[in-house]
Amino acid sequence: MTSLDDQMAAPGKVKRSNDLPQGVERLKEEHKKVVKDCRSQIAHWEKVEKDYDSLQDRLRTLPDKLSYDIMVPFGPLAFMPGKLVHTNELTVLLGDNWFAKCSAKQADTLVEHRKKHVKNALDDLQKVMKNFQNRADFTNDLEKLTGGTGDFVDIREEVKNEDEVTKGKHRLAHKPNSKPKQEYFLELTEDKEKEEGDEERKTGVLSEEELWARLDELECQEELQDQRYRLDSTDTNGEDTTSSSEEEKEADGGSSVQVNGHQKENGWAPSSLTSQMNGTNGSHPEEEEEEEEEDCEEETGNGLPTIYFSHTAELKKVRINTGKNTTLKFSERKEQKEQAKRKKKCGRSNSLNESHKITSPADIYRVFVDLVNGEPIPRKSILKSRSRENSVCSDTSESSTADFDERRATFGRSWSHDDATHSDTSDGITEEDSPTGTSPRANGRFEAFTGTVIEKDPLPSSIPHLTIAPPALPTIPERKLEELGPEAPQEPPKRMSKFKATRLHQK
Amino acid sequence: MAEAIQKKLQSEVEKYQQLQKDVSKSMSARQKLEAQLTENNIVKEELALLDSQNTVYKLIGPVLVKQDLDEAKVTVGKRLEYINGEIQRYETLLKEMEKKSEQHREVLSSLQQEFQRAQGQAVGKV
Repeated sequence: MTSLDDQMAAPGKVKRSNDLPQGVERLKEEHKKVVKDCRSQIAHWEKVEKDYDSLQDRLRTLPDKLSYDIMVPFGPLAFMPGKLVHTNELTVLLGDNWFAKCSAKQADTLVEHRKKHVKNALDDLQKVMKNFQNRADFTNDLEKLTGGTGDFVDIREEVKNEDEVTKGKHRLAHKPNSKPKQEYFLELTEDKEKEEGDEERKTGVLSEEELWARLDELECQEELQDQRYRLDSTDTNGEDTTSSSEEEKEADGGSSVQVNGHQKENGWAPSSLTSQMNGTNGSHPEEEEEEEEEDCEEETGNGLPTIYFSHTAELKKVRINTGKNTTLKFSERKEQKEQAKRKKKCGRSNSLNESHKITSPADIYRVFVDLVNGEPIPRKSILKSRSRENSVCSDTSESSTADFDERRATFGRSWSHDDATHSDTSDGITEEDSPTGTSPRANGRFEAFTGTVIEKDPLPSSIPHLTIAPPALPTIPERKLEELGPEAPQEPPKRMSKFKATRLHQK
Repeated sequence: MAEAIQKKLQSEVEKYQQLQKDVSKSMSARQKLEAQLTENNIVKEELALLDSQNTVYKLIGPVLVKQDLDEAKVTVGKRLEYINGEIQRYETLLKEMEKKSEQHREVLSSLQQEFQRAQGQAVGKV
């Protein structure tokens, strides 16, 4: 196969040096040649195999009679009647000028052995042919892509003002062009700046230790950001939760990624990324507020069809499958109400904000409720009990699927929601939940959150924490929740302790 | 000046082509050896399938000479080793030739550049 490899190498080199269309043509030719060669070789080996089969048949019937009457070829043109005797004695060519006298049965065994070799050769050829066929198809696709004539569509999202997306100081990972940490860089080289949201996530090879270390760093970052956000408008709070939750979600959704750091590094690029994940649509109401939901795409006809993303103010109905039986549905009443409210936007911005905007975890609980048996049931909240007074959440963790329980359990929290101001929300972890949280966490089974999210209309609803932490880093979103609460003095000690506690417990 | 370079270039090109031919010859020899290798492997396996009751012959010229089964096995084994050794030798030879041809390529490219420059100068002068 070295010749084939050489053939492959040659067109590769040629392509680089020539113009693209020429190179592509040449590459295709070479592919075709190789495939044709493979086919002819396969045909040859198949003929050989058939010959061996008929030979075996002959061998089996030959010893039936002591002698056969046959027409013996005499030279190239004549035949003579004769007899075939000693029908069981055969002289077999073993190869390389070696012969062996053996019986018909032994010869049969030898033929079997040879057929095995032939089969191997056939298999190899088939594999090679398939390989090259794939390569040829790939070059075809590539050509189509560059020519813009295929089904490929370039999806672009123009970010008008980056500050809108993430207010305040960006984390390093969120800046679209910032260089991620070196240790993750290699694994992210392909994904980093794809706007089409190519979802290949590289499974990290970070050990758990490194993950914990990374988590610590991120905690510090979040603390800093939290302080910043407190100074900012309310919008940022919600967005930050959503950003972190988005990250978590990315971690869980789609592929089996172990490393959370990667997703964080992937940064904000993401809204297109998440769109491709399981139930990512469901994440949108959570992550992005009303102003920022994905709009429909338009196709442009310039060369490569391009789809332009833009964020609009339309609420999108989302379905999120939470796993077992519960589904969260986007409440239509809530939607209508919001739309009505929007019309009277100016005067009621506050309430609008409260009902629409997710500025704190409590808002999340308010907005999203479980729909169990057709009834909206608030989800278990992880917020502190005092905020729960105003909330409608359920106190049990049975309101959702086991998976979800696991996920939430990993945080070791119970859900709670409130409709109070965001400043009053999300006190984070209740201590009593941490023990229960740690044990389920040992499972480490996480799934992407897919489900429908219901916005509960009249009552403050609970927003389940839709983000799922990856196995090793369970508490980032909760961290976010905590940070948003004003009980900053209380939280850090608790957070750290609980976090560390869970970590230690896990270890 | 340009002509001198041109002559040099041509001689280098010829040398390079010669080297390429040698490379291809070695390649084909090596491929033949590989075919023999597989064949002898098959013979070895098939000899293992036989028992001493069968007589083994070797074709030497027009004559089938009787051989002992064990002897045949030993002979085939030795041949296999010989073939392997030859293949190794050819491998190293090929590598060396590849290196040499690489060097030649570099020389050629540099000569070409000189030639281009000289030509450019000549054109400029004219």
